[in-house]
Amino acid sequence: MNIRDRLEARSAHYSFRAKLAVVWILIFVALAVLFAAFRFDTAFMLQWLPFILAGVPLTILISIMGILLAVPLALLGALGRLSRNPVFNGISGFYVSFIRGTPLIVQIFFIYLGLPQLAQYAPGPLQGLFILGTITSGVLALGINYGAYMAEIFRAGIQSVGHGQVEAAQALGMTRTQTMRRIVLPQAIRVSIPPTGNEFIAMIKDSSLVGIVGTQELFFRASKIGRQYFQNLETLVIAALIYWLLTSIFSYFQGRLERRLARGYVREGGGPHGH
Amino acid sequence: MQRLVSLVAVLGALSVISACGGGSAGGGDGGDLLQQVKDAGVLRVSTDPAYPPQSFQTESGEFKGFDIDVAEEVAKRMGVEVEWQTPSWDVITAGNWNGRWDLSVGSMTPTPDRRKVLHFSPAYYYVPAAAAVHETNTNITDPETDLDGKMIGVCAACTYEAYLEGSLNIPGEYEYVVDDPQVKTYDTDSSAIQDLALGDGARLDAVMSSLYTLKEAQKAGTPIKVVGDPLFYEPLAAAIDKEAPADPQPLVDEVSKTIREMHEDGTLTKLSQKWYGIDLTERQGA
Amino acid sequence: MGTEARPVVSLRGVRKVFGDNEVLKGVNLDVGPGEVVVIFGRSGSGKSTLLRCINLLEEPTSGSVEVDGIRYEAGPGNRPRRSAMREIRSRTGMVFQDFNLFPHLSVIENVVEAPVTVKRMPRAEADRLGIRSLEKVGVADKKDEYPIRLSGGQKQRVAIARALAMQPEVMLFDEPTSALDPELIGEVLAVMKDLALESGTTMVVVTHEMGFAREVADRMAFMHEGNLIEEGPPAELVGGARDPRTRRFLEAVL
Repeated sequence: MNIRDRLEARSAHYSFRAKLAVVWILIFVALAVLFAAFRFDTAFMLQWLPFILAGVPLTILISIMGILLAVPLALLGALGRLSRNPVFNGISGFYVSFIRGTPLIVQIFFIYLGLPQLAQYAPGPLQGLFILGTITSGVLALGINYGAYMAEIFRAGIQSVGHGQVEAAQALGMTRTQTMRRIVLPQAIRVSIPPTGNEFIAMIKDSSLVGIVGTQELFFRASKIGRQYFQNLETLVIAALIYWLLTSIFSYFQGRLERRLARGYVREGGGPHGH
Repeated sequence: MQRLVSLVAVLGALSVISACGGGSAGGGDGGDLLQQVKDAGVLRVSTDPAYPPQSFQTESGEFKGFDIDVAEEVAKRMGVEVEWQTPSWDVITAGNWNGRWDLSVGSMTPTPDRRKVLHFSPAYYYVPAAAAVHETNTNITDPETDLDGKMIGVCAACTYEAYLEGSLNIPGEYEYVVDDPQVKTYDTDSSAIQDLALGDGARLDAVMSSLYTLKEAQKAGTPIKVVGDPLFYEPLAAAIDKEAPADPQPLVDEVSKTIREMHEDGTLTKLSQKWYGIDLTERQGA
Repeated sequence: MGTEARPVVSLRGVRKVFGDNEVLKGVNLDVGPGEVVVIFGRSGSGKSTLLRCINLLEEPTSGSVEVDGIRYEAGPGNRPRRSAMREIRSRTGMVFQDFNLFPHLSVIENVVEAPVTVKRMPRAEADRLGIRSLEKVGVADKKDEYPIRLSGGQKQRVAIARALAMQPEVMLFDEPTSALDPELIGEVLAVMKDLALESGTTMVVVTHEMGFAREVADRMAFMHEGNLIEEGPPAELVGGARDPRTRRFLEAVL
């Protein structure tokens, strides 16, 4: 028996999970070594951790409001892209194409700086609607941006519902709108929820761009303190770790949600299995 | 029909969100800007809290610094409270604030370009501009001669860049002593300083910035050192948006008057001593 | 057949063209109240398209469709009237080869969906009606299950109950047993037979189940290349078909 065979024989004793745990531990050890090699000022990092953490509620708030705005926009966008009404279809096509084709940061500035230029044409009481605060601007930009991306998700979701479903509904005398609302959309939304969760997680990270117009969220706090004390790397590492933690937490909940949603489509209790 | 309903729902949601943010913008009616500030009892001041000792935030999020104290004193003399806003620097200097805040007390140099969009108060202090090199550097000792042809980092579109390009355009006489520098611009002074800290000549040979920004970096442990005497002094003033929704002139007059009073009664000198250790309220040198 | 009541279904000159392909070449068909008509023929003969023209899932290229007195004229010069289309559809029940149950709804929700949404029936009333429909097809005990948990035969019976809950004037069956495992075909045919013989339901059935046709149909109609070429009572048609194409097909399948 050579060494390799012996190693393989021993390895077979341990479960995949145990091996995976070992790999993760090794990665963390390597990270710790790397961390030490950077010679970060840990006292400084600990000192400012609470200040940076205080941006988390705003980061989460912005992301949640952003996704709440993105979902209806995405739904309208998806329906528009599938619509035979040229006006509705055209507007949706432009929305998806333009928003996906321009950088989010430009959109944030456009809403924060550009929109107020239109206020002068609005009647007095409505002018406030054009001059948005930083948080509102950020939420609007994130919502509109993600709405465009998610419109494609929802469109795919709608198209995944078989034509037989539409025919069955129409054969029962349902109108097109009833068919869409009662039969197609509920099924489309069910398949769209997992990718929507992914978008939400991505949005948590992209909410950092909203800091650029001066929202005191996570990234803004980290970068200001970094500049103030000339230790950008330290504060950005803190921010990165917090974003990672946040996205990990939401990924966990998303995984659970996904398993729950699968339940209605499973024959007998237990995990999902195709047939 | 259903589509219409959902469209209306979305628009409704949008306007609710808008209302949350738009509320503080202060309606267009109700007199001039000064009157509105007094009616609200709140002076909304923008600051970029990344520059100790002029403006920074403590661990608990409190705003501190020379600019902060000056603004709070101005507000106190007007009988109102300060509310801080933290838009990015280029958004402040570009004007067109759309009534989001009333006043900038942010150590801003009144350049002609900025004068096109902003009203300025008289200068409330003068900051020396200096050069720094990596602490291991030995061949740059006198910025008047040794910086020629060197790679120098500065903030983009700020007075230091203009100085190196020989196009400084602010009140006063200036002597441009650095010949043919290679200018590398950064989003802020802080980024330039951190790049210089990587090593002598690694990316930069020197950085030009406010003497106090450089000293603060040194104090924070950044391996750089200031060399020679200040290259010039720049006046720094408070600013107000020319395109404010309500007439800004009375507020400009009021702030200017207050700053002159603070010069005369020694308040500014006292604050300068507190934060900088010396009196920077009079123009010196150059 | 003599001079009985007005037909429930009446097709006149129905043509259907897909691109260059003329699938229906001007078909006339009347189905009287309580009558069971089985349409048979080779695949591709147009029998499914004909059935789908009755409830306008396919809009005829020209011709007219009348169901329970609601008339729909197709063809150039006639703007399709959506309201007439829906009127006709709510008076016809359709059962598909692939069941097409709504997977996100429970069995009872599948059944009451159309009465509540289309007829605006109160939910309680719709529930009572739904249960009765499910009892009729023998799956009332599954009312709270989701379709995924049902066998093929149960699914098709729920689909029949769903169509019955709209209390249609005529039931259309589009190869209702073709997707079923052989041992499950019987339960569906039994339900259909019960509907025809006990309840007197008017039915148009496209199927290859010749045994069912002979036992239940009042009339059989042979479809060939887009034309109905021969029809008659099973007893006359089977063994006594006049057209050689009908004879050849029947010899092959029987």
